[in-house]
Amino acid sequence: MNAAGRQADPVEDYVTALTAALHGPARVKARMIEEIRGGLADTVTAHTRAGTADPRAAHRAIKEFGTVDEIAPGCQRELTIAQARHTARAVALTTPFLVACWYLAWTTGQDQPWALPRVAQLLAVHLAGVAGVAALLAAAALAVTGSLARRLPVPRRLPLTVAWAGTTASVAMAVATLALATACVLAANWPLLAPAGALAAVSHAVVAASARACRRCARLRTA
Amino acid sequence: MRADAVRGHLDGLLLAVLEPGPLHGYAIIAAVQHRSDGVLELRTGTIYPALNRLERLGLLSSSWQSTGERRRRCYELTDAGRRSLAGERTAWSEFTTAIGSVLNPTPPPGVAT
Repeated sequence: MNAAGRQADPVEDYVTALTAALHGPARVKARMIEEIRGGLADTVTAHTRAGTADPRAAHRAIKEFGTVDEIAPGCQRELTIAQARHTARAVALTTPFLVACWYLAWTTGQDQPWALPRVAQLLAVHLAGVAGVAALLAAAALAVTGSLARRLPVPRRLPLTVAWAGTTASVAMAVATLALATACVLAANWPLLAPAGALAAVSHAVVAASARACRRCARLRTA
Repeated sequence: MRADAVRGHLDGLLLAVLEPGPLHGYAIIAAVQHRSDGVLELRTGTIYPALNRLERLGLLSSSWQSTGERRRRCYELTDAGRRSLAGERTAWSEFTTAIGSVLNPTPPPGVAT
């Protein structure tokens, strides 16, 4: 669209600016933007029917709606919480797999000549502990931002806490992936460990991406 | 009435206008303005994140409905939303009674003014 075309549609200019200002899960953001675009269109239609000329009707609707600077923090607050819930769900669903992977590596190596060295076993215990704590924190975050939020306000720093819990879990998953890959090379029963390593790698990719998005959202200004 | 003054009561207002049945965003704004005879000023853009929040809290449910080429998201009260609205009404009644008693005290019988 050329510059003249853009000037002819102040509602689309407004929606474009709001879209650029907001960050969060793609589906939730798209739904919010579509709803806001529809609401603005309904307001313009109402003003036009009441006798206001078309360009003035659009400007009046936007004025009543509030500037992007006024509206964005409230929308971003919901998107940040949605992203925190998304990350918390990813952590809560994938960390049990991480713990299961480590348990597999531990138990299958107990009586084998390639059994994990003492240092690796200690590392496994610590990583499983980290993953367990992250999963509990994620479950608590889901409860606090869900139905419990009717009774308790959502702590302002919760999204950042979830973001760093997710980051920590994703690092643990990366270490688990490397360790399982190494064990695969040494083990006789590598067909059992290889899928576990692949699962840990996929979990790492999912959680790391979600945690990165959550850190970004948590840094933005919210209402 | 200024938008700042309305903000603290936004949840109650939204739940109240949805009590009779489902409405989409613009219809909710129109209902608030109609019920208040245009006295309540809302930054209309603020109601969309508020509706999202009320849905997250389980007080509203929503679904997309198509009208011609346009889709609109319609919201309706859940059972929890109806209970919350009843609570908002009780709290508002107690609040206005208390403020009214301070602003317009009733002199005790027999006391000369």
